[in-house]
This record gives sequence, C-alpha cells and structure tokens, in this order.
Amino acid sequence: MTTATTAHDELHAGAAPPPHGWRRLLAPGWLRVPWMSALFFGIGLGITLLVRWAEGWHPIWDGQVITTIELVAVPFGFLAGIGGFDYWTRYAIGSPTQPEDHSGHGAYSWRDYFRINTDHKVIGVQYVVTTIFFFVAAGLLAMIMRAELARPGMQFVGNQVFNELFSVHAALMIFLFIIPAFAGLGNYVIPLMIGAPDMAFPRLNALSFWLLPVAGLLMLSSFFVPGFGCGWTGYAPLCSTHQELGAVFFNMGVQWAGASSIMTALNFLVTIITMRAPGMTFWRLPLLVWANFTTSLLVVIATPFIAGSQFMTMFDHIMHTNFFNYEAHGYVLGYQHIFWFYSHPAVYIMMLPGFGIASEVISTFARKPIFGYRLMALSLMAILVLGFSVWAHHMFVSGMAPWLRVPMMVTSVVIAVPTGIKVFSWLATLWEGKLNFSTPMLFALGFVSMFVIGGLSGIYLAAVPIDIHVSDTYFVVAHIHYVLFGGSLFTIFAGIYYWFPKMTGRMYDERLGKLHFWLTFIGFNATFFPMHYLGIQGMPRRVSDYAPRFADLNFFISIASFFLGASTLVFLYNMIVSWARGAPAPANPWRAHTLEWQVSSPPPVFNFDEIPQVVGGPYEYGVPGARHAVFNGDRVIEEEEVNV
Amino acid sequence: MSAHAETQHAAHPPVAHQSSRVDARTLGMFLFIASEVMLFGSFFTAYFFIRVVNHQPWPPHPFHLPVFVAFVNTAILVTSSFTMHWSLQSIKRGNRVGLQAGLTLTLLMGLTFLLTQLLEYARIGFTPHDQAFGTIFFSLTGLHGAHVLVGLTILAAMTTRAYRGHFSPEAHNGVEIGGIYWHFVDVMWIIVFTTVYVL
Repeated sequence: MTTATTAHDELHAGAAPPPHGWRRLLAPGWLRVPWMSALFFGIGLGITLLVRWAEGWHPIWDGQVITTIELVAVPFGFLAGIGGFDYWTRYAIGSPTQPEDHSGHGAYSWRDYFRINTDHKVIGVQYVVTTIFFFVAAGLLAMIMRAELARPGMQFVGNQVFNELFSVHAALMIFLFIIPAFAGLGNYVIPLMIGAPDMAFPRLNALSFWLLPVAGLLMLSSFFVPGFGCGWTGYAPLCSTHQELGAVFFNMGVQWAGASSIMTALNFLVTIITMRAPGMTFWRLPLLVWANFTTSLLVVIATPFIAGSQFMTMFDHIMHTNFFNYEAHGYVLGYQHIFWFYSHPAVYIMMLPGFGIASEVISTFARKPIFGYRLMALSLMAILVLGFSVWAHHMFVSGMAPWLRVPMMVTSVVIAVPTGIKVFSWLATLWEGKLNFSTPMLFALGFVSMFVIGGLSGIYLAAVPIDIHVSDTYFVVAHIHYVLFGGSLFTIFAGIYYWFPKMTGRMYDERLGKLHFWLTFIGFNATFFPMHYLGIQGMPRRVSDYAPRFADLNFFISIASFFLGASTLVFLYNMIVSWARGAPAPANPWRAHTLEWQVSSPPPVFNFDEIPQVVGGPYEYGVPGARHAVFNGDRVIEEEEVNV
Repeated sequence: MSAHAETQHAAHPPVAHQSSRVDARTLGMFLFIASEVMLFGSFFTAYFFIRVVNHQPWPPHPFHLPVFVAFVNTAILVTSSFTMHWSLQSIKRGNRVGLQAGLTLTLLMGLTFLLTQLLEYARIGFTPHDQAFGTIFFSLTGLHGAHVLVGLTILAAMTTRAYRGHFSPEAHNGVEIGGIYWHFVDVMWIIVFTTVYVL
C-alpha cells in the first residue's frame, strides 16, 4: 500500500491542494450532490410553475407534470453535483481549461470507486459491480413472482403488484444488467486489447457510468409511486392511458439508461477506430473488440428509437397528446413498430458482446486458433444488418398489415444463418483442441449448448403458425430465458471469471467457480425447460394465477428457481472473498495472447508504459513462433512498414 | 481492492497511436448526429403512420399552417449556416474579427428563429391535443426546437471563447465541431419544414 501512495502523490504533484472548510461544498463530490440536487429540483419546480401560471393552465400545481419534470431535473443536479459536467462548464463559460493532470485516474482506495473517475479500468469495475447489484435486485423480484406462482390461486401479492414485479424484473435485467454489464466488461478490456492508454473520451465515459444508478433507482422507485405494471415493453395505449405515475418512472429510466448506452457506444466506436496500436489492423482485432464494434453501431443507430417511443408514450400519458389515441386519429400500432425497431436489434445488443466473450474464452481454453476468424467477424456484421429487418415478428398477432408477416418470417429465419456460422465455428474451434475445463470455459460451453436450444425455439417462434399458437404463453418465457439467461448471462459469468484475475489482481476460487457453474446450469434447465411444455399446453404468461392442471409443474419450477437463486450466493461469496483474500494473480494465468494479458494484473494506471507493436493475429495458439504483439526492446519491423 | 500499482510505471500515459486519419472528436460528433437523425427518424415514423397509413388530411379542416412565416424563418436559419461557415473560414485564415462577427450573427439568427417559432406556437390556433395532427406538428417542430436550443448553447460557448481569444488558425476544433452540429440542425429543419409545411 505504501508504494501505491507514493505513486498517488507523484500524480498529484502540481495539482491544486484539496479544498478545506466550506469550500469542500463546492468541490465535485458527494458533499456537493445534496445541495445541487435540491437546487435543480427548485429550478425545475420554478420553471414549471412559472410556465403554467403564465400560460394560464389550470391547475397550476399538477403533481404528474411536476414529477415528470423533476425526473429530468434532479438527475441533472446529481450529475452536476458529483462533477460530471465540471470540465465542460468551464469550457463553455470560456475559463481556461486545466491541462489534464490525471488526478481523476486510477483507484488507490475504495473511495475512488465512488467518485467521477476517468480511468476506463475503474469505470469498468464500477459498471460490473453496479450491474451485479441490479442483477441481484431483479433476481429477488423473480423469486417473489415464483413464490406467488408456486400454487394456483392468490397467496402473497395482488394482481397489480404481480404486474409490477415482472415489469420491473425485465426492465432491470435488460436495461440495468445485461446491456451495461457487457458495456462494463468492454470498458475494462477494449482499450487494453487494442493497445490504447484509455478510451477516446474519458470524461464522457465517467458521465455515462453515473447515468446508470440514476436509471436503476428510477425503475426501482416505481414501486413506491403507484406502480409500473404494463410489462417491460410498455405497450401503448395500455401504458400511455391506463397507468399510474410509475409508468413515467419507467419511461424516464429508459431514457437515462439509453443515453448512457449511446454515449458508451459512441466512445467504443471512436476508441476502436482511432486508437488502435500500430500494426493492429481490423483483421487482427480480437473478436471481443469486433463484437463490441458491431454492438456499438447497433446501439448508436437503434437506441434513439426506444427513446422516441418512450417520449411519445410519456407525452400521451402526461400531456394528453394523441400519438397512439385511436379516437383522435392516432396510430395505435405505431408504438409497437417503433418500439420493436429498437428492441429487436436490442436482443443482438444483448447477445453480440457475449459472442465475443465466448470466442475469447473458447479459443484460449481450447488452445486453438478461432476457426474461420474472418467469417466470425463478417457474420457479426451480417447480424447487424439483418437485425434491422425482423422487428415485426414480435407483432404477428398484433393485427398489423398481413402482408408484413411472411417477409418478416423469412428474414427472421435467415438471421439464423450467421448465428449458425458462429456456433459451428465455436464447435470447430473446440474440435481436437486441448480443452481446459476451468470455470470460464464451463460457462462458455454452457452458453453454446443453451444458446442453441434458445436459438431453435427462436426458429419455431419465427414461423407464423407456431407463433400464433404460443404467443403470450410460457413458451415465449422459456425462449427468452434460454437466449438471455443461457446466452447472455452465461457469457457475462464467463467474462467475469475470465477477467477477474486481471481486474482485481487476485485469483478466484476455482472449486467454488465450478460449483457455481453446475448449480446454475442444473437450476437453470430445471427452471426454464418445463416452461416450453407449459407454453405449448397454453399457460399464459404475465398472469398471477393459472388453471389447477398446471399446478404440479409450476410447483417444480418454483422449487428449481429458488435453487437457481441460491446458486448466485455461491458466486457472490466467491467474488467478495476472492477479491479480498484471493491468491495474487500472475499477469497471464490463462496463457492468452491478447494484449490485456501482456501487462501486470491489475494493469498499471496508464495500461502500457509504451504502446506495443502488433505483429500477428490474436489467436495463434499452437502455431510455432507466432506472436500477437511485441513490446519495446524486442520490436521487429514489419514487412508492410519496410515496403512503405 | 488490492492495488499493486508499482512505482516504476510512468506517471503519465504514453501517447496513443493515432490509427485513423479522422479526428476523434469530429468522428464522435458525426456518430452523435447519426443517433440524432435516428431520434428524428422515430418521430418521422409516427408522422408517416398518421399521415400516410391513417390518411389524415393535412392540415385537417379548421386548421391552417402559417407557411409563409415558416418560410421566412427557414431562410433565416439557412442564412445562419452560411455565417457559421464564414466564421470557420475566417479563423482558418487567422481573421479573428470575422470569427467573432460570424458567430455573433449565427447566434442572433438562431435566437430569432427560436423566438419566431415560439410566437408561431402561441398564435397557431391549435394545441398538441388537437387530433394526432396537432401532436405530430408540435412534436416534430418542438423536437427540432429543442435541438436549436442545444445548438444555441454550443454557439454561445463558442462565441464566449471566440471573444476571449481562444481560437487560432492552428486550433479551431471547437468552432469546426460546433459548426457541424449547427449545420445538422439546419439541414434537419429543411426536412421538417418540407414534410410538415410544404408537402
């Protein structure tokens, strides 16, 4: 710890001394948060009342309108208080901007994780820990749901509360866990993998992290205002006319989470395009970087559509506009088209980074080069393009134009082709490999097998007749959990175990890791596989009660789901104890070739003392003499450079 | 966390390798604009559904759109794009007065546009509640107005810095990137004007 302190002091040499006394209230940080939030609350309230008074709108004091405005104003106050806008404000009012003294970089104590930090590695850890918090919260909501569903009839919660439970469960899992967890892992490893000292826009990166807790707290607090119970899809007109204030909390939560995800995606794209190490051509990028590149393109292009759809529902709800109001010539189905135009690409936003993680892990632990590297990258691009042409397969029973059905069915089936390419490539990579079944590999293999099941039921659902039969049944619940739990969550676990030594500098407990995998794998299948059958038999989803003939299977599912929930405790215990007391990790415990493993664990504050020179592909395992990169000292001159 | 930060590592980051000829901040602005275009796209989709799919008359019977006022307003905003361009060209040649005058004129014209639009709102004779038509009219022009407001904030910051002497022929990135946003706001208005008022 003493050496770290020295480094810290060196970094701060020349920086202004920390403020004392009341001036600490003005410095960015938690002391400034309360009064800044209160100030912005006052400003929001003042402007609203002033405008309503000046325009003569009655009543001047409208609780719904004021709450909606405050859901924008107070988070801005929080972000300004914690210091998200300091640099830009100084720039905007024309003050001299301080040259970067790197005081916002690195973490030297646990306190540094609770402030605006511009170090992509700290932000990555902040992301992962925050998202795991919301993962546990959303998982507990699911446990309450399963408790209610264990027996037919009503036991613990009422209908409205049940609606709120599954709505918030899905919203948190999607917007506050899966999407940002991938963003967090990407944040940590992408700059390291491409040989960059940091992200392209470190301050934007810090700001986009701090939007997340805001979004998550909005969604969680929707329970305490009259709740949000129209499903995470928030369909209009159900969610725009017949709901309480909680729906607005969801609308605004999505806006904050979406803004965070757009800013991160923009940052990833610029970083990957402009900051690659010399020799790191696009065809030498690790597949995780390729996957995040594609995902970020999807986020930048698609996410504004969900922002638009949530604005429209909110305006219909609060301002009584007529976007989706049939009586005033609004177009009711418009919401679903706009929403799914984002939310279908969003399933790829939730899956492609997982494909990247699986590629890293499988290649490293099979000690073989990825099979068909270029086709792996190109199939990501194919999914990106096709992903925008399939949205209406969510709307086969919505009463949309019938001629849209068959084209959407065909594109939905076609998108299985690039996905299939990836699955076969993983299998071919495993073929005759020297497999090492460590925890990350187990989760990656679990992902491949479970994702194939989810993908197959996806092809069933893409077919119009089957979809009409099982729409809004537990078959759909089973499908989405095989894709998002068996797919995304397994790869997130694989990624967390894989990079845990790099992130914390300590090894996790391998025995507990394996135990966690097997408990999760068994619990997951026992919970979700029977739901296929329930769905085909016609048990509707999103209903708190069911026919007595489904009772036995539901009781089994509930028991299995508690078992699955308990398996997370093993994970949490392993992570916390290993982070505090695990054995120190070597720089490269997995003998991987990619650049993040060529620096110490955890990496130095600025990643590299000198930018490495990339000389070959990232997965040349078992190829004699192959190297991915060389560092200063043993730098070789590339043929291309000689020719130029 | 167990910080193993070792002292022999550098206290300053190594200079990142520039792997593309594109400037990072310009690229960032273009990507941001791409997502803004998609946000407008979602509202244009709603416009399409209501006007084309639902065959709504445009404008429906008792209402009228003040096309002439909007046309004059369009002319003002288009002109402001030219003054914006002029200010950037000026600072590239080292003409600081041209920069300041260009930015000030752009800012004033942007303000005029926004105020005219607010006046138009007050006198237009319908509200966002008046059928889906009113909703779409106010949301498309209002979304654009919000972007003008953001553009004006950026312009105000640029103008402040220009008067403080912060830009030079070598360092005018701030003017260039802010200018790109302003041109985007301008082009977007031409599309909104054409679809909402003219067609």
